[in-house]
Amino acid sequence: MIPIKHFLVLSTIFFSLGMYGVLARRSAVLILMSVELMLQAVSINFIAFAVYLSPGEFRGLIFAVFVITVAAAEVGLALAIVLRIFRNKATANVDEVDIMKW
Amino acid sequence: MSYEEIIFYIVAAVAVIGALGVVLAHNVVHSALFLILALLAVAGVFILLSAEFLAVVQVLIYGGAVAILVLFAMMLTRVRDMPQALDGPQRPIAALAAGAFLGISILAVVTTDWPGETEKITVIPFRELGDALFRTWAIPFEIASLVLVVALVGAIILARGEEGE
Amino acid sequence: MGMSEVWLIPAIPAAAFAVLLLVGKYLPRRGDWLAIGAIAASFIIFFPVLVDLLDKVDKPGFVGGGRSWDWVSFDNFRIGLGFHVDQLAIVMLAVVSFVTLMVQVYSVGYMRGDPRYGWYFTAMSLFAASMLTLVLADNLLLLYAAWEGVGFCSYLLIGFWHEKRPAAEAAKKAFITTRIGDVGFLIGIILLWREAGTFDISEIFHFAEGGGYSAQYLTLAVLFLFAGAVGKSAQFPLHVWLPDAMEGPTPVSALIHAATMVVAGVYMVARMLPLFELADPVALNVVTALGLTTVLMSATMGLTATDIKRVIAYSTINSLGLMMVALGSGSVTAAMLYLFVHGFFKALLFLGSGSVIHATERQDVADLGGLAVKMPLTATVFAIGTLSMAGIVPLSGFWAKDEILNVSGDHQNWGVYALMMLSVFITALYMTRLYILTFTGRPRDRHAWEHAHDAEPVMTVPLLLLAALTLVTGFVVFDGVGEALGFPGGFGEFVFFEESEAFHFPWDVAIISTVAALAGIVVGVYAWSGEARPARQAEEALRPVYLTLANKYYMDDLYQWVINRVVLAAGAVISWFDRNVVNDTGVDGSAELGYFSGFGMKFLETGKLPNYALGISLGVIVIAIVFLAVRV
Repeated sequence: MIPIKHFLVLSTIFFSLGMYGVLARRSAVLILMSVELMLQAVSINFIAFAVYLSPGEFRGLIFAVFVITVAAAEVGLALAIVLRIFRNKATANVDEVDIMKW
Repeated sequence: MSYEEIIFYIVAAVAVIGALGVVLAHNVVHSALFLILALLAVAGVFILLSAEFLAVVQVLIYGGAVAILVLFAMMLTRVRDMPQALDGPQRPIAALAAGAFLGISILAVVTTDWPGETEKITVIPFRELGDALFRTWAIPFEIASLVLVVALVGAIILARGEEGE
Repeated sequence: MGMSEVWLIPAIPAAAFAVLLLVGKYLPRRGDWLAIGAIAASFIIFFPVLVDLLDKVDKPGFVGGGRSWDWVSFDNFRIGLGFHVDQLAIVMLAVVSFVTLMVQVYSVGYMRGDPRYGWYFTAMSLFAASMLTLVLADNLLLLYAAWEGVGFCSYLLIGFWHEKRPAAEAAKKAFITTRIGDVGFLIGIILLWREAGTFDISEIFHFAEGGGYSAQYLTLAVLFLFAGAVGKSAQFPLHVWLPDAMEGPTPVSALIHAATMVVAGVYMVARMLPLFELADPVALNVVTALGLTTVLMSATMGLTATDIKRVIAYSTINSLGLMMVALGSGSVTAAMLYLFVHGFFKALLFLGSGSVIHATERQDVADLGGLAVKMPLTATVFAIGTLSMAGIVPLSGFWAKDEILNVSGDHQNWGVYALMMLSVFITALYMTRLYILTFTGRPRDRHAWEHAHDAEPVMTVPLLLLAALTLVTGFVVFDGVGEALGFPGGFGEFVFFEESEAFHFPWDVAIISTVAALAGIVVGVYAWSGEARPARQAEEALRPVYLTLANKYYMDDLYQWVINRVVLAAGAVISWFDRNVVNDTGVDGSAELGYFSGFGMKFLETGKLPNYALGISLGVIVIAIVFLAVRV
């Protein structure tokens, strides 16, 4: 059997990589993809906990279902916003959109 | 090392390679493809966790819909693929932050005394999962559907542009 | 009606004050009749109270009567609002109510036509109420409140003509100087309360007699109490306000700064004398020492002052010093007797001088002279007052002053006694000087002399009544007189400390004092009558002495120097601190800090998404570390 720690370490690696991508990448689309990675990590975590540590309770699995659902909705919406911004500013690079600067 | 472990390592390796590709690739389309790889590998991980339903959902939704969506967005926003255009000025700090977080998390995971049996997976019957989803968790379910509707409407309105109705 | 209704005596003027304050200006004649009616009522109520007291005074264990209400009461802490009358208080009541009545009536004439006529009577009513409360208070806190009340009224009335700069300054000086004493007084009260747990005077006496205070503690406490008397009764070194207080209207000077308020200090010490006796003898020695110093200083300063009211003011300080010496010698009888008669003849002297001022519109003796022919009645009553002050038999001043000389001879060393006799001489000297310069000789200001006339009846009747009292009140010392009036005996058997004293006449003291007084009068007549050549020669020969006296021993200058160099300098330091540290650094600085840090932090808002994401990530990492550390 696979000890739970393996899954947890995998999920932290995923999360960290996603975090790096969010902070380092320039294009909005790429950032969104990194966010997807982070959400994946979260799902792995929840399911691992549900399956290993609290059998009989479905919370982790249900939560993972909702994570996927909401992630999908969020990506759609976020990309719509990106398209909007692109239309106005002809760029999808996040560091060129600084109208909210001091 | 048992069979499951070996399989796990293989699947995990694929997933990590995919993730690395997403964040490090110099070509956007390559990033997108790496993302699909990573998502599918995660589906494999789900199977290892005996959550087959979720694995299927993962493949369908992520692999099917989200990835396509991302590719379309890339096309519409004409993301260039020159190296300096892809990585922002925060790269070193980002690496540092991510590394720090990784270190702390792994430390936390490894040193924690997880309660309960941490070696055995309890297989969850599918039927009961469905039962729970529509009975105990009916309200979050409904709200999730509401979220989808809102996202749908919002995306349409945002993406349409000023000249439309 | 009896002693239980004694609270009416202060209450009626207080009610009059309230009414006058609110609607005074709408009443006919601005309400002077209301003020006078109130004090007359108080005077009338005095008689049933007196009768009731005389009824009960012979019974053993008599400590007086009155009534007390709870003012603040919780747990075992109680402050009462109580009025208590005993022999000591009844004497004061007699003086205060009668003299106040006389002065109010006199004021109708003196203050006629003044634009603030109504306010005068309002303030006088408040004063009457406060003074009567002070006399009757049964606990120290109420006494202190009334004490402050009379001080405040004194401020209002000295500065009555506040358009005049000197009057405003004098009012301020009076208030501040007495305040210094009052701080000491309050400390003394608190010290007494702290151990005894009560403000009630009789309870404090019980506590002290039971040995509740250690000797040093009690000595300290009574010395602080005495500080209040030093201020209010113008003893050295806080006597400087009284001469300046003459800027107020003359009736005010007569009432407040002669007969009633200034003797409040004497009254308070007399009432608290049991504590003084229980304390270390040094306390009473301090009282005597300051009293004696006051007597001599004021007498000598009276020799050079030229303003008629000022001379009488110095004579008041003189009298107050005498009373303090009496108390320092342990005799409440002598002090209260002098207080009783002094109220009448000093008020007489002031009101008499008021008549002179009112008629001639002059105050300085350099502008007066020869008024006896134009104002015979005033001159006569003024002469009676002068002789009483000098201590000539059979006027009241003689009996009272002799009592004081007697007890100081019995209880003090011969040095004190000798100085007291010397003061008799000097007092007679300066009082004679005043009379001669004002009423005899050639008039120095013809115009003023032309206008001089005896005042209208509303002003002269009080003068006559007071003069009559000055003539007869001295005889209350005799046991026969006292018993005939319904008292248990002479004054010494009515008001006393520890034991009643039957009156005995000390021939030796009487002869020496009479000789000293007559000598003073003779020398005074010689020095100042006519051209006053001897006086002028003496002045030339002793020029430095003259200047010292004329400049009031330079005490005012000393105090002003202290204020300038010490008080104002300290104030400047504190002001610097307040401006620079508290305001600029503390208040403005904090505001600047907020503004500046805000300005600094706004650069964090770059508007760029990755920066914000970095911020969030760093926050998460910090929280993760904290949780890890806490758990581990």
